[in-house]
Amino acid sequence: MKKLFYIILIFFFVYLAFPDKSWSIPAFARKYGFNCNMCHTAYTKLNDFGQRFRDNGYQIPGQEGKEKNVFQTSPPISLRTTTGFSMYNSDHGTTAGFNIFGFDFLAAGVLHKNISFLLIYTPRIDEPAADYQGPGNGDNPVQFATLESVGLVFSNIIQDALNLRIGRFEPAYHMFSSKRSYYLFQPYEIYTFTTPADNYVFDDNQIGIEATGHFRNGFKYGAGFINGNGANPDNNKYKDIYATISQTFGRGEGQSAGQRLGVFGYYGWQPLDLPGGVIAPTGETDGTDNKSFTRFGGSASLNWKTFNLQGLFMKGIDDKVFNSLEPTKKYEYTGGFVELDYAGLLDNRLVLSGLFNWVTPPSYNSNNQINAFSALIRYYLGDWTAVNVAIHAEYTHRQIGKSNTFKDDIFALLLDFDF
Amino acid sequence: MKKVKPFFIFYFILIPLLVMAEDKSAIKPITEVNVHSLGPERVGNLPIVPVPPDNPQTSLKILLGKQLYFDTRLSEDNTVSCATCHDPALGWSDKGPTSVGIKGQRGGRRAPPVSNSAFNDLQFWDGRAPSLEEQAKGPIINPVEMGNTHEVMVKTVDNIPGYVEQFKKVFGTETVNVDQVAQVIAAFERTVITTDSPFDRFVKGDTKALTDLEKRGLEIFNGKGHCTACHWGGHFSDERFHNLGVVPADVTKPDEGRFVVTKNPNDKGAFKTPTIRDVELRAPYMHNGSEKTLEDVVELYDKGGRTGDPNLDPLIVPLGLTKEEKNALVAFMKRAMTSLNQEVSNVKPIPPSELPQ
Repeated sequence: MKKLFYIILIFFFVYLAFPDKSWSIPAFARKYGFNCNMCHTAYTKLNDFGQRFRDNGYQIPGQEGKEKNVFQTSPPISLRTTTGFSMYNSDHGTTAGFNIFGFDFLAAGVLHKNISFLLIYTPRIDEPAADYQGPGNGDNPVQFATLESVGLVFSNIIQDALNLRIGRFEPAYHMFSSKRSYYLFQPYEIYTFTTPADNYVFDDNQIGIEATGHFRNGFKYGAGFINGNGANPDNNKYKDIYATISQTFGRGEGQSAGQRLGVFGYYGWQPLDLPGGVIAPTGETDGTDNKSFTRFGGSASLNWKTFNLQGLFMKGIDDKVFNSLEPTKKYEYTGGFVELDYAGLLDNRLVLSGLFNWVTPPSYNSNNQINAFSALIRYYLGDWTAVNVAIHAEYTHRQIGKSNTFKDDIFALLLDFDF
Repeated sequence: MKKVKPFFIFYFILIPLLVMAEDKSAIKPITEVNVHSLGPERVGNLPIVPVPPDNPQTSLKILLGKQLYFDTRLSEDNTVSCATCHDPALGWSDKGPTSVGIKGQRGGRRAPPVSNSAFNDLQFWDGRAPSLEEQAKGPIINPVEMGNTHEVMVKTVDNIPGYVEQFKKVFGTETVNVDQVAQVIAAFERTVITTDSPFDRFVKGDTKALTDLEKRGLEIFNGKGHCTACHWGGHFSDERFHNLGVVPADVTKPDEGRFVVTKNPNDKGAFKTPTIRDVELRAPYMHNGSEKTLEDVVELYDKGGRTGDPNLDPLIVPLGLTKEEKNALVAFMKRAMTSLNQEVSNVKPIPPSELPQ
């Protein structure tokens, strides 16, 4: 029984460690004839220019209506995949092999002045091998197909002050995008930490509507109204809300210049009774006994020359009915990460990074405590137009649990390319 | 929270917002800028020179325009010609920091280059002239530049038999008018095209045309340096207007740039993007010559502008360039973008004695 528990635990963390990843969109570079470093410090991490481009609905700021739309360019399609060798080692064994860590099909562009779209589809890579003995009745969770993002962006409804995203998107409360991080595996443990009975995952893209604004004085806001279960259809009839604000001091967006501070808060509902009864033709369930939970925290992104130090702290509180461990108490936990990136060598072709993650659950759940250290080296073969190939080496050491510690290590040497 | 009605939100908030988002420009002409093409586009060789149908190029017209270009008699006191400020030896600009007109008067801006100005969609730093023909009329009557009137200038030309004879051959008219003067000068300016820089040769396939440092500079120019966000296409210009956070010559009365033309507050302190071609020959830089060298220009961009101008263009962000990257960028802009067109770079002023009498 204990062995089974560890096997499940290993596969659980492997699943968390290898989610589908995005995003870098060479279709934009192809449209403009730019090199990747126009928008990325080094792809996939956005620089200040790239952040403004994204905030402005994939339009160059100030040039709305004066650039080509998707009907005037080559097909706005990009592909990305990551493949290579990885090794996973834990107290219970070692695995190693060659893998394809996801494949992304990306399409994005401007449909009309101030109206743009983004679509990211991650197809299933292949069927499980005949001798596959893993979990999920032969379905490797790494390989599930996902419509990771799809939706429209209406920009500058009020110049800079009001922009809308509708569809499935990466919410603004992701003050640091796990999808545009240098780290190819799960970079931020706090984003994926799940509590005993609450199915909400902070890291998930969400379906709904989001309003954002960005101002020349460095202030930004974001507020959304979403399903909250990261899925389609929803699992309860109540919608979740969130808000975030940030202020950048100095010139820049806090991505590669300027100093950015921000706070965020999330208030959501999850049903206790899953899946509930399907009562709508669109598949929604009524999800009975919905109870609330909150997530809130702050972040900072500090830049000095070509160093970027970013950190986030978050606290989560679940209603006591979600707390299967101590049903009389609310489940409260904290966590965060600190990451130091350096991209100042060889025209940003060489990237070095270190990352420390921690999650501190309540004392009665200390076996879920996480401390993890990661480091990576990425080398880009060139700063080309709309093509990028990076050699990527990444290592993570993780300790899970306080008294009965489970340790694991992940090492990968990969090729990451998109075009 | 539990009482929120999604449909209410959809119908009464979302739909009005989306209606607000509808692009109104489809029914309103774009007046703030005459967009000649949708870009950015990849940097490359220059296209064919655009020639307006109402002013076709002829050899006689070009020769006449060249003579007038170098003729100081167009100015009020016979001391200033077009070439005084748009000097072929100085990259068809002047030594700056700003231009000097009649009686030693110094203007607030330096002369934009005439070379490749045929590709400009709008002329002048603030884009107030829609064509080279209209541009050519401006300095003649500017009190700080040539200080003349169109009437006096035309009378002067009309009293020079050598010019009258040539105008008659070109236009078939007995008398000269200001539009004809502008047309011939514009026709000459459309021949001042630099198409043969090391960069052009590199684009055409000569991989040895650029040094390794210049190739690296080109990569930075089109990537980390963010230069091609504005300096794009064959002309290395978006033909648009930007506030770069340039230090004004007079901080108490900064030049309002494009705003003077459009009255659009977003255009305050914005000036037209100049071409990068032959930029090495045109120091000092910016509309007011406030940056002495190309190294200074790169420093300005690297800092994300030198001033905290609230109207700073959103394209301007600190770049985080290393010293080596700056050197590569400057190397690319210097030799690699300097043309080898002898017919343009070796144009000599026409001595007064050889001008029509």
